[in-house]
Order: sequence, then C-alpha cells, then structure tokens
Amino acid sequence: MSLAILIGILLVGGLLALLADRWGDGTPRWVSLVTIGVALVYLLTTVADTAPEYFNTTAAIGSDWITYLKLDWIPRFGISFELAMDGLSLLLVILTLLLGLIAVSSSWSEIDFKQGLFQANLLWTLAGVTGVFLAMDLFLFFLFWEVMLIPMYLLIAIWGHENKAYAAMKFFIFTQFSGLLMLLSIVVLAWQASLTNGSYSYSYFDLLGTTLNSNLEFWVMLGFFLAFTVKLPGFPFHTWLPDAHTQAPTAGSVLLAGILLKTGAYGLLRFAIPLFPEASMNFAPIAMSLGAAGVIYGAVLAFAQTDFKRLVAYSSVSHMGFVLLGLYAWNNIALQGAIMQMVAHGVSTAALFMMAGAIQHRLHTRDMRRMGGLWHDAPRMGACALFFAVASLGLPGLGNFVAEFLVLLGLFAVNPWITAIAALGMIGAAIYALWMMQLAFQGKPEELREFGDFGSREMATMATMMIILVCLGMYPQPVLDLAQPVLDSLQKLTPNIEAVVALTQVGVMDQ
Amino acid sequence: MNIDDLQGLLPLLTLAAGATALMLQIAFARNIKLTSFLAVATLLAATLSIVWAGESAPRFVTPLLRADKLALVFSALFCVAGAVTAILSMDYLNNRGDEPEEYFLLLVLSTLGACVLAYASHLASLLLGLELMSVSLYALIAYPDKTKLPLEAAIKYLVLSGAASATMLFGFALLYATTGTLQFSAMAQQLANIDTGNITLLVASVMIVTGLGFKLSLVPFHMWTPDVYDGAPAPVAGYLASVGKAAVFVVLVRWFIASNLFRFSILIDCIALLAILSMLAGNGLALLQTNIKRMLAYSSVAHMGYLVIILVVGSDLAHRPLAIEAGMYYLIAYTATTIAAFGLLTLLSAGKSQKENIQLHDVSGLFWHQPLYACLMLVALLSLAGIPLTAGFVAKFYLISSAVSDGRWILLGSLAIGSSIGIYYYLRVVFYMTRRVEEHKNIPEAAHGLIEKFMTCTLIASILLLGIVPQSLMEYLRSILQLVN
Amino acid sequence: MSGADTSLWPFVVYFFAVLALVATMLGLSWLLGQHRANAATNVPFESGALSVGSPQIHMAVEFYLIAIFFVIFDLETVFIFAWAVAFFELGWAGFISISIFILLLGVALVYELRSGALDWGIKTRSGAPTSTLTQEAQK
Repeated sequence: MSLAILIGILLVGGLLALLADRWGDGTPRWVSLVTIGVALVYLLTTVADTAPEYFNTTAAIGSDWITYLKLDWIPRFGISFELAMDGLSLLLVILTLLLGLIAVSSSWSEIDFKQGLFQANLLWTLAGVTGVFLAMDLFLFFLFWEVMLIPMYLLIAIWGHENKAYAAMKFFIFTQFSGLLMLLSIVVLAWQASLTNGSYSYSYFDLLGTTLNSNLEFWVMLGFFLAFTVKLPGFPFHTWLPDAHTQAPTAGSVLLAGILLKTGAYGLLRFAIPLFPEASMNFAPIAMSLGAAGVIYGAVLAFAQTDFKRLVAYSSVSHMGFVLLGLYAWNNIALQGAIMQMVAHGVSTAALFMMAGAIQHRLHTRDMRRMGGLWHDAPRMGACALFFAVASLGLPGLGNFVAEFLVLLGLFAVNPWITAIAALGMIGAAIYALWMMQLAFQGKPEELREFGDFGSREMATMATMMIILVCLGMYPQPVLDLAQPVLDSLQKLTPNIEAVVALTQVGVMDQ
Repeated sequence: MNIDDLQGLLPLLTLAAGATALMLQIAFARNIKLTSFLAVATLLAATLSIVWAGESAPRFVTPLLRADKLALVFSALFCVAGAVTAILSMDYLNNRGDEPEEYFLLLVLSTLGACVLAYASHLASLLLGLELMSVSLYALIAYPDKTKLPLEAAIKYLVLSGAASATMLFGFALLYATTGTLQFSAMAQQLANIDTGNITLLVASVMIVTGLGFKLSLVPFHMWTPDVYDGAPAPVAGYLASVGKAAVFVVLVRWFIASNLFRFSILIDCIALLAILSMLAGNGLALLQTNIKRMLAYSSVAHMGYLVIILVVGSDLAHRPLAIEAGMYYLIAYTATTIAAFGLLTLLSAGKSQKENIQLHDVSGLFWHQPLYACLMLVALLSLAGIPLTAGFVAKFYLISSAVSDGRWILLGSLAIGSSIGIYYYLRVVFYMTRRVEEHKNIPEAAHGLIEKFMTCTLIASILLLGIVPQSLMEYLRSILQLVN
Repeated sequence: MSGADTSLWPFVVYFFAVLALVATMLGLSWLLGQHRANAATNVPFESGALSVGSPQIHMAVEFYLIAIFFVIFDLETVFIFAWAVAFFELGWAGFISISIFILLLGVALVYELRSGALDWGIKTRSGAPTSTLTQEAQK
C-alpha cells in the first residue's frame, strides 16, 4: 500500500499547490517543496521498515522485491493495479524525488504566472514518473507513461519560451505516436499470452516468458523499442529533444533531462529486453549501432550549437547513447554502467539546465555568443559551471566517469569495434564541454551588464548535486549493490544471452 | 399486445406521451421555462422507466420492435444525452430567437426516433426510427437561429439525407425481393440459403451501405458533415454528432448480428475499406480546420471509422462477442465525450452577442477566465484523442484488443496513424486555451448559471469515471450482449 | 428469375423508346434550327414587350401551408380506412389504438390552431425565416 500512498502524496500535493495560489503569492512553491520532502521521507522510512533484508549485502541476493502491491482493477482484461519496487526502482524513484526538489528550487523565482498551476503540474509529472518506475502491470505502466506527458506538455506550452507551441507539440506527438505503437504491442503480447494461459493478464510477471513466433516477436519488440528509444532519446528519434528542452522553463528542462529520459532507459531494461530476449538479442547489433551513432552525433551537434540549452540538450543525446549501448551489451558490467549513467547524467544535466536557466533569467538570452566573461561577474556561478562541465565530459572521480567507463568495459567484451567508436564520443564531450565554458564564462563581455551571482538558495542546490556526483564517483558501490539483485534476476530471465554474461562474470566478482 | 409488451415499450411510450403533452402545453401556455422543465422531466422519466421496462425484457413486441437489454441501455443513453442537451441549451435559446419552445418538442421527438432505432428489429421500424430522428433534426438545425447559415445547413442536410434514405430504401426493396422478408431474424434464415455472390444482394448491399454510410458520415459519404455541423446551432450539432450517429450504429450492429450479415465477405471488405478511408481522411482533413465545429465534424468522421472496425472484426465468430462489446463501450464513451465537447461550444455561445464562438481564437485564454469550462474541453479533447484516464482511452483500448485478437493489422496501422494525426489537432485547441490573457482581446461571454456549472462537473466526472473504473459497465455490457448474441 | 426477365422486356423497350424519342426531338430541332447569339437571344419572349421587374415575387404562403395540412390530414384517413375495413377482426385493441391515433391528430390540430398556423394574413411570429430571407434578398 505504501507505494500507492507515495503516488497519492504527490497527486494530493499537486492539488494543494493549485489551491495554495489563493493563500499567498509564494505559498505554492512551499507546498510543493514540503510535498516532495514528505514523499522522500515517507519513501525512505517505509523502505527501511519493510525490507532490511534486501540491503543485507552479505546474503548474495535478498528477496527480489522490496514491497509489492496488487489490487484488482479491470478484471475483465486481467488488469490490476500492481506496483512493486526493487533496487532499481528505488534508485530511480529517489532520483526522481531529489530532482523534483531541485526543479522546485530552480523555478523558485523564475515563474510569475499562475504559480499554483505550475507547481501542480510539476508535482503531477513527478507522480506520473514515479508511477512509471513502480508499475508492474503493463496497462498501468502505459497509463502512467502517457499521463505523465500531459502535465509536462502543459509546463512547456504555458510557461515555455518563444517557440513553445512548436516544441510542446513536437514533444507530445513524438512520444504519443511511439506510445501508441507500444500500446499495440502490449495488447498483442497480452493476447498471445492469453492464448496459452487461457485468460487475459497484463501483469509483467505473467507475461514474462511468453513465447511468440519469431516474426511476431520482432514486431512486438520493435513497438516497445521505438517507444522507449524515442523517450531515451536514441538516434535518430531524438529530434524532439533539443526543441523541447530549449523551450521548456528551467524546471521543465530539469525534469525532462533528469528523469523523463530515464523512463525510456528503464523501460528498455525492465520490459523491452526481458520480455523479448531472443528478438532483443538479434536486434542488439542494430541497437548498439544506434547507440554509438547517438554518442557521436550528439557530441558533434552539441559542438555546433550557440544556444546554451541546445548544447546541453545535444550532450544529453550523446550521453544517453551510452545508456543504450550499456543496455544492449546486456552483461553485468555494462548494465551497471548504464544504471550509473542514468543517475549521474540525471544529476549533472539537471545542474547544467539549472545553470542555463539562471543565466537566461539574468541575461534574457541563451545565446553563448552574447555571454562571455561571466566568470568575472559571477565567480561562484563559473565555478559551478566548470564543475558540471567536467563532470559531463567524464572527469575521473565523478559519477559520469564511473558510468561511462563501466559501459565501455562491459561493451568491449561484446563488441570491441563499437566500443572504439563510442570511446571517440568521450573526446567529443571534452571538446564541447570546454568550448561551452570558453564561450560563456571566459573572455571579455561584449556588453555592459548588471549580473548577480548565485544566491545561497542556488548555491545550496548546486552543492547538493556536486556532493552527489562526487559520492557517485568516489564510492559507487552502494548504487551498484542496490542494482545488483535486480540485474541478477533480470539476467536469469534471459538465458539465451547467458553465454555472454558468463564471459564477463569474472568482472563482477572483482567488484 | 399485452401488458408485458407495453411494459417493455415503456420508454418509447413515455417519450411519445411527453411529446404530446409538450405540444399541448406550447399550444395553450407558451412559456420557455415550463417547456424546458417538461422536456427534461420527460426525458428523465423515460430514462427511469427503463428500470421497470427491464423486468419484461427480453421480448419481441410485435415483429417490429425487440425490447431487450441492449435496446434499453441505449434508450437510456439517448434519453440522458437528450436531457443533457436540453439543459445545456437553455441559456443558448434564451438569448436568441423568439418562440424557441418548439426546440424542446423537436428534441424529444428526435430522441424518440433514436430510441426506436435502438429497439428496431425490422427494416420498417429501422426506417421509421431513422426518419423520425432525421426529420426532427432538419427542423432542429434551422429552428433556434434564424440566420442564413443554419438554414443552409438544414436544407443541405435535408436534401442529401433524403437522397441517402431513398437509396437505402431501394436497397431494402431489393433485399425484400430476394429474401421475402424485412424482419432481421427471419432474413437470416432466408439469407442462409442464398449464395453470397448473388447479384441482386450485392446491388442491395451497395445501396444500403451508401445510405447508412451517409448517416454515419463515413468517407466518401462524409461531405455534408462539416457544413451541417458548422451551420447547426452548437447544441444541435452535438446531439446530431452523438445520438444521431450512435442510434444508427446500434441498429446496424443489431441487424448484422440478427441477420448474420457477417458472412458476406465482400460487404465486410467494403466496410473495412470505408473504415480505413474514414480514419485517414477524417483525421487528415480535421488537421486543416481552424473552426472548432468543423474540426469536431471531421474528427467524428474519423471516430466512426474507428468504430466500424468492430463490424469487420465481428465477421469472425470467435471474436464477435468481444468486438460487439468493444463497439458498444466505444459508443457510450463517444457519446459522452462528444456531448461534452459540443456542450462547451454551446456554453461559450450562450452569451448575449448571439454569435457562435467556434473559432480557435475564441477559446484562447479560456483556461484563465473560465477554468471550469476549459477543464471540460480539456477532458473531452483528451478523451477524443484517447489519452489514458478518460473514457476515450478505455474505448480505444477495447477496440484495439478486439482488432488484435482478430489480427487486423492494416486496420490497426491506419488507426495508429489516424490517432497520431488526431493528437495534433486536439492539442492545438488545448494550446489555444492555455494562451496568456494578454495575447488576445475579446473574451466571449459564456453561460454562468449554476445548473450549467453542475452539468459541466457531471460531464467531466462521467468521462473520467468511464476511464478510471470501467469494470462494472464492461461486465454489464458483456452480460447483456451474451443474450443478444 | 427467367419468367421475370421475359415479362420485364416490354418495359425495357419502352424505356429506351422514350429516350430515343426525346433525343430525336431535341437533336432534330438543334440540327434544323438556327443558331444565333444576338443581344436579344436570351431575353424572354413577351410578344414584343420588354419584361419589367424581377420574376421572383414574394407571395404569401398561406395557400401552400393550408394545402400541406390538407394533404397530411387527408393522408391520415388512410389509416382509419384500414382500421374500419377490419373493424370486427381487430376488436377492442384496434378500437383503442385508433382512438389514440385520432386523439393525437386532434392534439396536432389544436397545436396548429393555437400557434397561428391556420390564421390567414400576416403571422404574429416575428423574425420568421421567410421574412429574414426577404430582408436579405432586398439588400
């Protein structure tokens, strides 16, 4: 029940924030902050209560699920309200809530139009994303998957920048069309399963191991793959992302980059590959090529941008390419790397978008050619930017490095050539990240301007994210431990790929 | 004709008696308040009478009408839809035209026609119901607003609909010539002995498909739809789009089941083609509209395209129950949603300016100055687009489930493409509604009565409830359809 | 079916004969007639006098309305005839049915009477469709 309550807290919080508009100008953001805080505390306490054995690392694998909830919903089709949480979900939900806090903080003084509705939409997006990470019924999963887009659409469409109509629409149509294909795939899968089981069920656990004929399996897998890759976003379905990120308000960009993209990766890891192991294995070379293409293409395009936010957006494409590579390498090290990348990229990109938002709020432009010399005016801001820029380019000692290193290490065992190509992307990252620093913060300002440095609220937010990245980089073991049981059980589901896993099992022992 | 028979017909009798009473009331004491109250009371009484009528169902009341649960459920739906339309149009009528009382009389008569269609088990009663409904609608379109546009719409609808009815009637005659009966179930026995390639039957089915395709506005018989919806007063357009379509579809489904028309594969292929054309062309043309009514008209073309998929799926006996169930659920969801969408246009056009506020820029900024009405439109549009948590999503899911189980990939592909196009034009309206207030100038004067607010909340709640807790309705439809099949 | 075919062919012949006759008449007059395109060619022939004013004169539609009512009520008597022929076979059920039918006709008549449809002359109802059209035509 605790999981339903968690989502409930966020939904009710959104409603309260909406009403809070009447009580005073600044109230909604406090309501929002308190709501996320309460949700976070509630999550941690219940997890600590219900499943200490899960964290007991001395036992190699604890129980697979920390908590589990199943209520009948539409028995006519075997649809139930089924939520479950394991280490992976827990990690991502914590990330979601943390970035939620950061998003609230980053929009603290930016939003002056209908604050209540803004915070409500923000909280509802969080609720939807949390639902995506927890849902174990495919119908329910699809429901959260689609519903989280509506508040996000409104965030972009109402509070976005100059070209918001185009960006919001493009974002919504891309994700909806691919979502529709996924719905078709889900229905086909459930129908095939019902032929063997005798009754409809949309439960993940009932659908695992459904045998389809290989032709059908390919098409159904493709439906899932498209939906998740569009969201990820993988090359060549990434074109919505630069527009949506650029036009969204800062909090919207933070949520989009930080957590919405992760739902795509999560979907691939949890659903697309385990449900269709054979088709996925056959498809893996193509998926990995797309991943490598994304890494390179994103890096090259990021370098060509003059818009701060667009640059960060394309860097996301590049980084999420690593996730795609790690997932389809499907061995323990690469998967750990992919999960690590999801968390680290979430934090570092959120910070960069917050930076972009802060600059835009002060300068009213995102054009880096008109910045220049910001370090002089705002040294604290410059220092933060430098930190996250080098985090993004993969400086050893920070989370992103661990992630990308693990992905490349795991991938090497599977496909050395693609690994080599992807590694080039890291060079590209160094170029565009430093280019960005150079353009925006170094050099001489082109015009005279009043420019305020980060205040204490912003510094606190930035510091939190820095600490997280340093911890991830210096001592990633807790995150790896949390994800390990999940990966073990997922890999058990896909015996066909075990040959590859065995090859790299040695590496796991070392950790 | 005994007392049980009369009990089964209770909704029809209530509506007929109510219409007569309305006529007398209008004749002797013209009073818009009293008339609207009587009309709503009649429609609600007819709805309630269904509980009692259900006790004697199912039974044939003469060979013409079959009083079963299916007929009763849809009669209830049509009566409620009629009542909602009547309530929503009160303010609209108050502010325009003189002597608007007959509007309610026509509305009750049209609902009576729709209910007869739900009961029909004979081509004669089908025609009777269809004409009663349509003739009332011609008058309804031209009645409240005495300007050129509604008149043009009414005449266009009259002429074209008349031509369609005539074509259909010719088809019926040919059908009668081959089978010697007009009764659905008797026709099944006759048709079973006839080769499916019989030339007279083919000609008959082409004519009937043309006629019914016109009424359902399937491509390529859809030309009238945007013009008529555009010209018709908003509440009438909503009623025409929802009840006018749903009633025809219900009788079509009943006929297909009772006479087992599913075995004529050419007919089924033909319907599949119409479905694909309607889904693609309907959505594609809706994309080009800036007038919300015309957009909704094309969107209704597309929705009818989705809906007739179930006739194609139903041609396989194994999947027929699921298909019919899906179709019935879709109809209910579609009716609620369409009434809601046009209801908003009615409320917006109710102001004293006597102008129909139906252009995209008329709704701009609606979120900020009429949040409740904007929510109604948002929910209705999301439901039409098939976004989860709304009735439209569950309906579409149902439809997809049935089509998948029959492996109709081409139809499913067209549905996916059509729906994605649909999202664009539905969301465009949402985007206009969220524009900041400074960005536009004149705010249309909307209805602001308590009863309108109450109806708005009810409509929002019903669309959401159908989308969130559909189980009981699904089970109910399933149980009644087992009897029909 | 073959019996029906043989009995139908005179109609087919007749149909085509009519078509042929009309086509011949029109075709011959076109072939033999003169073709001129003068200024006066399309003017209505009024025995030499030039036509004046618009032919679209607004007439009161009372004639039309009354005629329609007559046709409707006259048509309803068909049903009464049908009932009367089978009076004894239908018994009380038939009697009740026809009574309801006649009652409904009566209500309709009352409605017409009260709403002024049978009044001769200018209607009380303002802004009726005909008058709007008149205004628009005058513009």
